[in-house]
Formats: sequence, structure tokens, C-alpha cells
Amino acid sequence: MARQRKSKRQQQLQALIMAPIDWLEERSGLVGAVKYFLFRRVPAETNWFHTLGSATLTAFLVQLVTGVILAMYYKPDPESAYSSIQTITNDLTLGWLVRGMHRWGASVFIILLFLHMGRVFLFGAYKYPRELNWLIGVILLTLALAEGLTGYLLPWDQTAYWATVVAININANAPIAGPFLGDFLRGGAEIGGDTLARFYSLHMLVIPGGLIGLITLHLYLVIRLGVTEPPWTRAAAGYEFVEDGRGPVRKGLVEPRPRGNGSIGTPVREEVRP
Amino acid sequence: MSSEEQRRQFELYKKNVARRGKPFYPYAMFHDTVMSLVVVSVIVGLASLWYFTAGEEPGDSGVLGPRYADESDPGTISFTPRPDWYFYFLFYLLRIFKWPESVFLATVGIPTILLIILLLVPFFDRRRERRLARRPVAVVAALLVVASMGVLTYKGATAKESIASENLAKVPEWQATQNLPQDALPGARIFASLTCLNCHSYLGTGGGFAGAPDLSAEGSKGRGIDWQIGHLKDPPAYTPNSPMPSFAGLTDQQLRQLAVFLEASKGPKGGG
Repeated sequence: MARQRKSKRQQQLQALIMAPIDWLEERSGLVGAVKYFLFRRVPAETNWFHTLGSATLTAFLVQLVTGVILAMYYKPDPESAYSSIQTITNDLTLGWLVRGMHRWGASVFIILLFLHMGRVFLFGAYKYPRELNWLIGVILLTLALAEGLTGYLLPWDQTAYWATVVAININANAPIAGPFLGDFLRGGAEIGGDTLARFYSLHMLVIPGGLIGLITLHLYLVIRLGVTEPPWTRAAAGYEFVEDGRGPVRKGLVEPRPRGNGSIGTPVREEVRP
Repeated sequence: MSSEEQRRQFELYKKNVARRGKPFYPYAMFHDTVMSLVVVSVIVGLASLWYFTAGEEPGDSGVLGPRYADESDPGTISFTPRPDWYFYFLFYLLRIFKWPESVFLATVGIPTILLIILLLVPFFDRRRERRLARRPVAVVAALLVVASMGVLTYKGATAKESIASENLAKVPEWQATQNLPQDALPGARIFASLTCLNCHSYLGTGGGFAGAPDLSAEGSKGRGIDWQIGHLKDPPAYTPNSPMPSFAGLTDQQLRQLAVFLEASKGPKGGG
């Protein structure tokens, strides 16, 4: 019983740490939610391929943080946009790092999005009941590309300007909505200050808002529906783990019970029987 | 597969994970943390490589390109429209289609169709099967998409930009081949020194980037000087769906000279 006799100091410490947590839990249930998130079970075969999603999230968080810092120094008007970019890059302490990380983080974000999508496709992780999360993922990809397009104009240099001229012309080619879209993006007949302000607002308010909302929904569905096992696992091959009557499941005990693989109706092979 | 069967499979999945699975923390979270650190390190590494190898002057390029190009100038007449690398595959599509009749396919048609197909993937592949060896169509489709996007991106990345001095050296050759009159020469020089040849080709020169129409025989179309000037000022008003930027920044004299040159270009066989 020596364990339970704590010194007064220990009791105080415990009260100091636990009391606020209990207070929060009682009023919000958030502590329980975090515990559920951390200790929920994922398939035993979860591996490095499954890190691509969280890696994409990390790249997005880098974009958020560096973007917020850049917004403190960037001036979205044609008179001073270019010089503010030069100041950030050359004069501001570690400004080069913030802008460099934002610029190259964008490429890393896009690459990781494609890799993550490729992983989900090859693992067949978009199948029932995860179809909705695939849809959200594709919308996230298009929003990320829209971030790339709108962010590209902001340095307001020649590359930015003329690439955007062509990009807007291409958007304006779309049937029906095209001309309106072109006018909306341009903010007038010519690309100028209004265009820059529009792209800035889209780039740092509208599209990130959509991204944050959809990423939250995406993660909620991942937690709710669980992580898909890799396609090379026995579970993916149609095996079902059964109890052997003595209580816990014996490791590796599988019942080679055909479960019907949809239209192809693959019979489960006998030789895999343990 | 019946939805009944699908639900049963998912119940099995949940049972399986509850019995055999491992907790997210610390197992999966360890992998995620390591990967996130790698991602941040790569981003910092790219930023450093970009900054320290490039100079402070605009356009002073390092390993990963310049810190910035010259300040934007809507009145400029020499520029290269080049998007960020992850749009190269879309940009390069422009070369594959004939301008301007079917360029609509490259600018809007194909990207829209691809997006719709991508969105609908889970709705036309509804089988439960996830093993790669038993999903030949999905695997082949994925490989084809990766290969074609890779090739288009590579082609976009290596597309040659035209260099004004090299193009200017070709003006006498053009004059001889096309039998250009003297008053077409100032326009030919403007044409050579602008970035027209990044997108358009002329007697086998240029066209490397966007594959816009060949202009060697532009004058044989009977469009006239006024049409040419109007088109240069506002291309989409004259050829619908044209992604060509406006050249309204040129002076009236320059526009006229360019138009004279284009109208004088009757093609190598047409003669003067």
C-alpha cells in the first residue's frame, strides 16, 4: 500500500495537472475524443504507405503557418507587391526561409497529394464504405491546384503575370460559365490591381477555408471508418479470423471461408489453410 | 455485390481490427511522426537550396530557379508564359491539339473529363476485390495515367524557349524563302525578337512550348492587315477559344509592321 501513500507534493502536482483535464473533459468530452483518436485500433498491417496522408497534412500545416507569416509582410497591390516580395526574401530575418518553405512546400504538398491518392487507389481503399472520402479527396486535390494557380500570381513578377494571363484565358474558354469566370478572376477587362486583390483573397481566405473544412471532414471519416488493410493481407484476400473456443483469438488462425469477391467470385485457395 | 454483403464485409473488417489491430498510438503514430519530420526537412532543404544558389538580382537563377523574375509589366512584349511545374502536363496538352478548332479539348475538355472520371472511380469500380493481381484494369489504368502525366510533365519541363538573338539571325533566311518585300522586314524583326516563337512556329523555327498554329503561310489566308492588328490586340475576339495573350501593349506602328509581315508570309511554296 506504499504506492498509494503519496507525499503532499505529489498530491498537489496531481491536482494541478489532472484538475484542468477533468474540468475540460466534464464540460466538453474532448479529452475522451483525443483518447479515442490515439488509442483506436488500426489494422496490424498498417505500414509506411499509410503515412502519406498524414505527411500531406503536415505539408498543408507548413503552408498554413508560413502563409500566415507571409501575409504579415506581403502587400497585395500592384505598386508594392513585387518590392514586398523582395524585402521578404532579402531583408527580413529568415524571410527567405519562410517564403522558400511556402514556395517549395506547395510543390511537396501537391506531390504528396498525388502519392497519397495513388496509394489509396492501389490499395482499393476507395471502396465501400469509403467512397465519400474519395470524393472529398479529389475535391481537396482540385482546391490544392487552385491554391497553386492563385498563389503563383502573388509575387507579381513577369513569370507570375504572364502565366496568369494564359491561365485566365484558358479558364475563360470554358463553355457557358467560361466568360463569366474569366471576368470574375480578372476583376475587369485587364489583369491589374483588382486581379491581384482577388487572387490574394481567394488564395488566403476562400480556398484555405474550404481546404480546412474538407480536411477536417476527411479526417473524421478516416477515424470513423478506419484504415484499410494493405491488399496483400489475408483480410484483403477474404479470410475471416475466428475464435477457437478457448477465449482469445489465436494468432494466425484463419478460416479459409469463401466470402465472395463480388463479380469475380474468387474461391479462396485451400493451401493457405493453417 | 449486394449492399447486404458489403455491410457484412465491413462488420468483419471492424471485428478483425478490434481483435488483431494495434493501437494508433504509439505504433502508427511513430511512422507518421517520422514521415512528417522527413517532409518538413525536405521542404527546408528545398528552400535552402533555392535561396542560397540563386542571386539577389531578378532572374539570377540557381539550382531551383531565380528568387523572382523582373517586376511584372503589362506593357512588355517579351515574356514566356510558363506555369508552375505541376501544371506542365495540362500546359503541354495545348501542343497536342490543333489550334484553334480543337484546342478547347486541351484547355477545358480533357481536364474536365479526367476530373469527372476521377470523382466517379468508386462508383464504377464497386467490387470488393482489392488484391492488385486481380484488378488488372485498375492497375493498367493507373500505370497509363502515371506514364502519360510523367511524359507530358517532362516534355513541358524540357520544352525549349526561343531566344531572340537566334531568331533574329534567321530573318534573312526567311526573307529569301518567303520572298518577303522590304516593308515586311521591320515586322519580321519584331516577330523574331518577341516571344511569338515560344508558342508559334515559323518555317520550322519555334513552337516548342505551346504548339500554337504555324504562321509560315498566315498571309495566304486572306485575312488582311486590319484583321491581323485587331487579332493581335484581342485574340479571343477574333478566334474564339484562343488562349493567346493580348499584344495591345505594342505601339500602333509596331502592330502594323507585324501585320504587314504576317500578311506577306505566303508560305514557302506560295511565292511572293
